[in-house]
Amino acid sequence: MSSVLDVVLSSAFLAAVLRVATPYLLAAFGGLVAERAGISNIGLEGQMLSAACTGALVAGYSGSVTAGAVCGIAVAALLGLLLAALRLELGADAIIAGIGLNLLASGATAYTVFTFLDDKGGTSGLKSGTLPTVALPGIESIPVLGDVLSGQNTVTWLAFLAAPAVAWLFYRTRFGFHLRAVGEMPEAAASVGIAVRRVQYAGLALSGALAGLAGVFLSMGYVSFFVRDMTAGRGFIALAAVFLGGLRPWGVFLAALGFGAAEALAVQLGTLDVPPQLVSTIPYALTLVALAVYAWRRKRRGAGEVTAASM
Amino acid sequence: MNESWGDAGAAVAARAVTKTYGNGVRAVRGVDLQVPPGEIRAVVGENGAGKSTLMKLFYGLEQPSSGEILIGGRPRVLRGPGAAIALGVGMVHQNLMLVPSFTVAQNVVLGVEPGRRGLVDVKAAIETTARLAQESGLAVDPVARVDEVSVGMRQRTEILKALHRKARVLILDEPTAVLTPQETEDLFAAVRRLRDGGMTVLFISHKLREVREISDKVSVMRAGSLVATVATADATERSLAAMMVGRDLSLDVERAPARPAGTTLRVRNLEYRAVTGQSLHGLDFDVAAGEIVGVAGIEGNGQTELAEILAGLRRPTAGTVHVDGTDTAGLDVAGHRGAGVGYVPEDRLHDGAALDESIADNLVVDRHDRPPLARRGILRPKAVRAHAEQLISDYAIRTPDPSVPVRSLSGGNMQKVIVARELSAGPRLLIASQVTRGVDVGAMRFMYERLVEARDQGAAVLLISADLTELLALSDRLLVIKDGGLVARFDDTTGLTEKRVGLCMLGVERHDRERLTAGQDSAGEGARA
Amino acid sequence: MTATLVETEDRRAYRATRRRDLAVDLSMTLATILAALAIGFVVMLATGKDPVRAYEAMLTGPLERSFRVGRWLEDATTLTLLGLSVAIPFRARQISLGAESQLYAGALAAAMVAIFVPLPPVVAVIVPLVAAAAAGAGMGLVPGAMKARLGANEIVATLMLNAIAVRVYDYLVNGPLKQPGSTAVHSDPIRPDSALTPLQEWFGVPLGRANTGFVLMLLTAVALWLLITRTPLGYRIRMTGSNPDFAEYGGIRVPRAIEWSFVIGGAVAGLAGAHLVQGVYGRLEPGLAGSLAFEGIVVALLARNNPLVVVVAGLFYSYLRSGGDIMEQQTDVGTEIVVVIQAVIVLLVTAQALPDLLKRRIARRQAGVR
Repeated sequence: MSSVLDVVLSSAFLAAVLRVATPYLLAAFGGLVAERAGISNIGLEGQMLSAACTGALVAGYSGSVTAGAVCGIAVAALLGLLLAALRLELGADAIIAGIGLNLLASGATAYTVFTFLDDKGGTSGLKSGTLPTVALPGIESIPVLGDVLSGQNTVTWLAFLAAPAVAWLFYRTRFGFHLRAVGEMPEAAASVGIAVRRVQYAGLALSGALAGLAGVFLSMGYVSFFVRDMTAGRGFIALAAVFLGGLRPWGVFLAALGFGAAEALAVQLGTLDVPPQLVSTIPYALTLVALAVYAWRRKRRGAGEVTAASM
Repeated sequence: MNESWGDAGAAVAARAVTKTYGNGVRAVRGVDLQVPPGEIRAVVGENGAGKSTLMKLFYGLEQPSSGEILIGGRPRVLRGPGAAIALGVGMVHQNLMLVPSFTVAQNVVLGVEPGRRGLVDVKAAIETTARLAQESGLAVDPVARVDEVSVGMRQRTEILKALHRKARVLILDEPTAVLTPQETEDLFAAVRRLRDGGMTVLFISHKLREVREISDKVSVMRAGSLVATVATADATERSLAAMMVGRDLSLDVERAPARPAGTTLRVRNLEYRAVTGQSLHGLDFDVAAGEIVGVAGIEGNGQTELAEILAGLRRPTAGTVHVDGTDTAGLDVAGHRGAGVGYVPEDRLHDGAALDESIADNLVVDRHDRPPLARRGILRPKAVRAHAEQLISDYAIRTPDPSVPVRSLSGGNMQKVIVARELSAGPRLLIASQVTRGVDVGAMRFMYERLVEARDQGAAVLLISADLTELLALSDRLLVIKDGGLVARFDDTTGLTEKRVGLCMLGVERHDRERLTAGQDSAGEGARA
Repeated sequence: MTATLVETEDRRAYRATRRRDLAVDLSMTLATILAALAIGFVVMLATGKDPVRAYEAMLTGPLERSFRVGRWLEDATTLTLLGLSVAIPFRARQISLGAESQLYAGALAAAMVAIFVPLPPVVAVIVPLVAAAAAGAGMGLVPGAMKARLGANEIVATLMLNAIAVRVYDYLVNGPLKQPGSTAVHSDPIRPDSALTPLQEWFGVPLGRANTGFVLMLLTAVALWLLITRTPLGYRIRMTGSNPDFAEYGGIRVPRAIEWSFVIGGAVAGLAGAHLVQGVYGRLEPGLAGSLAFEGIVVALLARNNPLVVVVAGLFYSYLRSGGDIMEQQTDVGTEIVVVIQAVIVLLVTAQALPDLLKRRIARRQAGVR
């Protein structure tokens, strides 16, 4: 047991948490923005995947990591717009369209990689490079925190800044007001002259871009290649974090961070002769339990007032 | 932007406006209308007469198929509400257009938020709202969440929204439908004050009494056309009604005196503690077989809660409810239906029907697992269809086929489907909530006849309505509910006036407990123990 | 008199509209498939491949040899069962994404019985099937009860259960259930008596691993169709999905209807797992389900959750899948292009407004002609 504690308290572990949580955080905020705009973005997974693939390919062929990241994010944002267009212009069900987009991303990325590189597995044959890390002068000298923060990727910093940024966007800016109004009561927003569709398009583009940043991190953060279906369900876990976080920026932040921490823990414990598969179920089992307890308490609170008052 | 108004002429006008919808329905036909500035103009008509569509044209929610809309004396092309708002047109919709989780102030400023560079200045929004409320006499709490304030305050919020946008024309679409008489009074006072300040008000309603009270002139619409515009002073309710339907309107229901038999519904000391909404306090009343007992009251005083408790959709906190001797207080909905309770819910779109399912399926929800519709665990589609065809012809539901989804029916026909289902179950107790809300006059008459017929066949009918005329026309006895308690009881409704009942609804007149519970047995005490 | 005339007229017009709408729906589906194939054609052309040869291989390939037909039927069986398994909760408007976890539960249950419990013939086939259905149903009950009794979000619950089930299954196949002494990762083979009879033995031509599970799948589809359209429970599930407030108002116990929809769906997904174990692989293999569970959702959606149409959609979808594999073997075009084509079909089919636009245009034209 002490060895488990050692692992958890080590700065290496905390650094790993930040790293592992990064894609979850970004994708979850993407899901949150779309959800609050009134269109569920089940396509997070596909948007991440497309961004990861585009980023690695563009960076590899152009030699510019920045160009890769920008193109990756742009492609994901376009997929967000496509989802919005299917929903808004063609009356598609957002869930089905999202599943369709995921399928499209999975097929198209694999086909593209195969066509360009003649490799079914990924882009490991292509030199594409990684995104820069942030070096804050003097930060290494701070005990523990220095070890945790130094050498973290730019995208990780962005992921953690995204929580206050999204909260600020939602509750302080005109766009955020309109976005929440449109998602909650589109008729009301339309009746005061807000261009509902335009707000939803913007929301979905932002949602896709955030997922895209998460995807770019996967193929250009710590590794420098794209692997087929490398998102491995992270988009869906992020979606779970959106709901678990109660559709609020800080709630979603905590939920996504929790998923990241648990996954990092599973990886660390894997070194301790525990079956890694079983350890890695822990976050999901905990989420399931939390979901049940949360729902149960909410339900009991609703009913409890009646019974308590009757006494 | 309001500067673009011309100096002379009407504030709003329509010139030969016609609106044909994509499905071929012509909602507005060649309407010419002119409303000068500073006038309260009522627009009346039956459901589907085209009032709401005409207003949507003025507010830019719809565009005319032909003809012109004029605002401020000039022809305008309104591509959306934004354009109308910019020209000084504000509209308070029948279904309020507020964001529930936003505060009053946030709703007031939504779309035109104060603040610089894309940010919202929340403090300024609150100050603006408070100032507007002060100036106009429309009292609101700027920092309260909209889903936690009364319907009246929500409506005031809507009007403040229009004022905040510097509206010079205010369209009110059936604004009093959800208000208490006191709130209606306050609203009228505020509207008059706005008019005196130069505001043009378009007031949509089919409550003719209110129209006579508030408006300067009345325009009457029928079947999409404008049939007349008269000065309110020259109009009577009767003459307006005649113009609306094109014939002399009488809703007097012919009914023989009730012949009540034994007690069917017995409610004793009913308590209900509501988490949200109105709680109920110690209700005691009986409804006998073969009588219609009306429940009058301003909406939101516990009628919904009472109806849903009696139908089994909510559990009472304390007290007893017996239907023909069966204690139903602890039963679920199926148990209530088994005990012979039928319920026509007040909101038919919400829980009265599954709109996307067929008429046939909607007619069997309470009997789908019993013969003749189901035998040995198998549902028989032929029997379900035959059952539907029977009820469609019995209740004159206008539809080409039982497989038509309920959504495609008109309001009146939709309500007929629900009434057909509930009455054909042969209920011992029928709870009828707002049966004629939003249905046309023909269907209204039909519903009345059916209710009386059910009564004469021995059903106990509890009629809950916001329409006093309807209650007085149908009820053999009348109860008045206020703040979740009974405040008055009339065992004879002949000669009873709307005014008298109105006084009870407002709590001016109250009956003592003795009169409220006169003649009730106290056997409920034993059952409760 | 006039009233009845008007009504007859109305009825005729209504029937004509219904017929026309059906025709539009059918031709739109066909046009959708053609459009998706056309897009695939363009993509292949743009990437310098030979689309004509590729399509020839893909569209005629699966029928060219009998064992390829078998490959198609085998795949269609699993896929259709998975489609059916989500169609039922979808009818109750429950977005269950849990077919994957239910499949693994079913596969494990079937394998445990079929590997370790000696049973007489016939019974040896049936008991593992029943065990699989029960395990799948149990796996479905968890999110079902959580949703129905507590109001917990079913999308999150089923996604979490999938994540757990996949990992537990992986652990079991790599650990306790791994065939001792084998270098490859898989379980012991099931007892021969427990295997679903290969269709090959019925038809006398080589049909690969296709087995009587196909017949089982067809029977399941018919049974579910009867359940939905011809039983009170099916009615309750439909009404709950259409308007839960109405269902409750009408006396239906909504939580129970929701639970049943999950349980029934889970049982069917469990059968899909049993089919893989008893019919296809004859043992537990790692990553048994692949991406089939999600494709099952697509199949259900394409079929608008109608069990009989799910069979057609499943057969069609599998045809493209197996055609894609043949195309990859015979040409230089990767099988991924099939996934792209499938995705385009999904996106086009879900674009509800397209057929509606067309119907309205036809209606207007006919009105104009009159």
